[in-house]
Amino acid sequence: MRISDRRFALFLMTPAALFLAVFVAYPLFRLVADSFFKISPIAGGPRDFVGLENYFRAFASEAFMGAGWRTLAYTAVVVTLEFALGLGMALLFTTLGRKSQVWRTVFMYPLMIAPIVAGLLWKFLMIDNFGLIGTVLHQAGILSNPNQIGWLSDPDIVLFSVAIPDIWLTTSFMCLVLFAGLQNIPGDLIEAARLDGARAPALLFRIILPLLRPVIAVALVVRGIDAARAFDTILIQTNGGPQSASETMSLLIYRTMIRFGDPGLASAMGTIYLLAMLGVAFFAVATIWRPGKDN
Amino acid sequence: MRVAERTRPDGGKAAAVTAGTSLPSTTQAGGRRRRSVNREGLEAGKRSTRTLLWILLAAAMVLYGFPFLYLLFTSFKTPIDTIAVPPTILPKEWTLENYANALGRNGVLASFINSAQTAVISTVLSLVLAVPAAYGITRYKTPSGRVFIMAALVTRMVPPVAIGIPLATMMASVGLADTPIALSIAHTTISLPLSIWLMSSFFEAVPRDLEEAATVDGCSRLGALWRVVIPVVSGGIAVTAIFAFLASWNEFLFALLMTAIRSQTTPVVIANFQTQFGLDWGSMTALAAVYSIPVILLTLLLQRKIVAGMTLGAVKG
Repeated sequence: MRISDRRFALFLMTPAALFLAVFVAYPLFRLVADSFFKISPIAGGPRDFVGLENYFRAFASEAFMGAGWRTLAYTAVVVTLEFALGLGMALLFTTLGRKSQVWRTVFMYPLMIAPIVAGLLWKFLMIDNFGLIGTVLHQAGILSNPNQIGWLSDPDIVLFSVAIPDIWLTTSFMCLVLFAGLQNIPGDLIEAARLDGARAPALLFRIILPLLRPVIAVALVVRGIDAARAFDTILIQTNGGPQSASETMSLLIYRTMIRFGDPGLASAMGTIYLLAMLGVAFFAVATIWRPGKDN
Repeated sequence: MRVAERTRPDGGKAAAVTAGTSLPSTTQAGGRRRRSVNREGLEAGKRSTRTLLWILLAAAMVLYGFPFLYLLFTSFKTPIDTIAVPPTILPKEWTLENYANALGRNGVLASFINSAQTAVISTVLSLVLAVPAAYGITRYKTPSGRVFIMAALVTRMVPPVAIGIPLATMMASVGLADTPIALSIAHTTISLPLSIWLMSSFFEAVPRDLEEAATVDGCSRLGALWRVVIPVVSGGIAVTAIFAFLASWNEFLFALLMTAIRSQTTPVVIANFQTQFGLDWGSMTALAAVYSIPVILLTLLLQRKIVAGMTLGAVKG
């Protein structure tokens, strides 16, 4: 009985496993294999084995190292701001209780919008000359001229500007997850702390945040991995520019592959990027998620 | 036996979506008790505090909702007003010109059909593969199942840009270049791990006695899954379907890499407006609005289920 159960389970899992093997594992294998070759971008062109040369070229290139740091900075900014805003909104919805339910639904709407549309929309809001944000800040007397801040044209700040649509899109996700976590905090704990005279900050930092820790960890990891892969929003806003100041890893690999026609180098970059992400993923899955475990 | 409709208004735990009235579930009862105490616990008491919080919420909602409203308003401006300096929030003159321009363009309507086709095929494929797999993982808890769900989750971390090109080459070599089938397979690599994860959580909430009773009554295991378990988790399947659909509908990078003329989806067309026709902001906003509004409405209709699906994996942890 035991063994046939196992076989049955295997039988149920096989189609999905085959699918992932053929359409994810095999392309990954191709990617890693390509990273050891110098490949002509022309179909049917020469293909020479070069060993680790593409990897040396990747690590020696300023573009690659720069993109690595920018990806880290971008991820840190996105996740931190989303967390702060999402937690604020989750606490607001919790303290307002049931009556705020309708607004919680409305707050969710950006999650359904395509990243490409969000990037386009914010580009339109931040663009020089006819962007609304510069104009509104100017009319409010904060800026002396509507184009004083070149949101998407100033290399010093563009990495933060391109993060805005991403933050706008997924703060809702952070808020939903944290809100659900807040609902599971035993109310008597809060009551007891209140009776002991705990004020709001102590309540938040001593009780709520420590109890939310597992939920916070999962939310940060899920969003962190997504943010590190950001592509659509940045591509449509700046295409990585100006002067590569908003070029993150996904964009660099895409451009190396398509624009500069160097699939070998792009594959090496992709492999390094993938290994870094898998490192994070394994760590996260092993320490936090543990799905399918026996309770 | 159909109990999947009973979602909780506050969209809390996984169990809330699938577990029904007749199912013995201690965690659920416990959750409800805690929840009601919690309301008193964290809810603001004083009237003045509550008023202040409501004002804060109103401000946040206006700020958060404004960008999309601005997109809508802009789509009703005349093409010249769209890029007027300084910009105005409301159109000086309301017109459907941008919509006519955007939808009248070559390939735009076809791209909607491609998007819908791709998303539907990808959703069906995801469900057909994920439902049995998730059931096998959660019901039998074999070591291979544990390895498999880990592997499935790890594939979720793979950056699409890393597999996009090899995948496109593979599709081309079997004659599927530039087809909705090829793109929907690519999209399924994104939605399948997510679907397995979601469905596992839903199956977890179904008590084992249910299909044991069915097998005693002479049902085969496959029959029990099909006739007894699947109807119970139909709500969960709906949530998973919505997620798979959205993942495909909104996806851009694979679509960019794998489609040319025949199977181009709307996100690629929206992005192409930028280069191909100069900067036609009016048409872009109109097309973006037309593309986004159906899924936003769908969300509002099914919001409880979606909230539950979105939060369950994280909170269950």
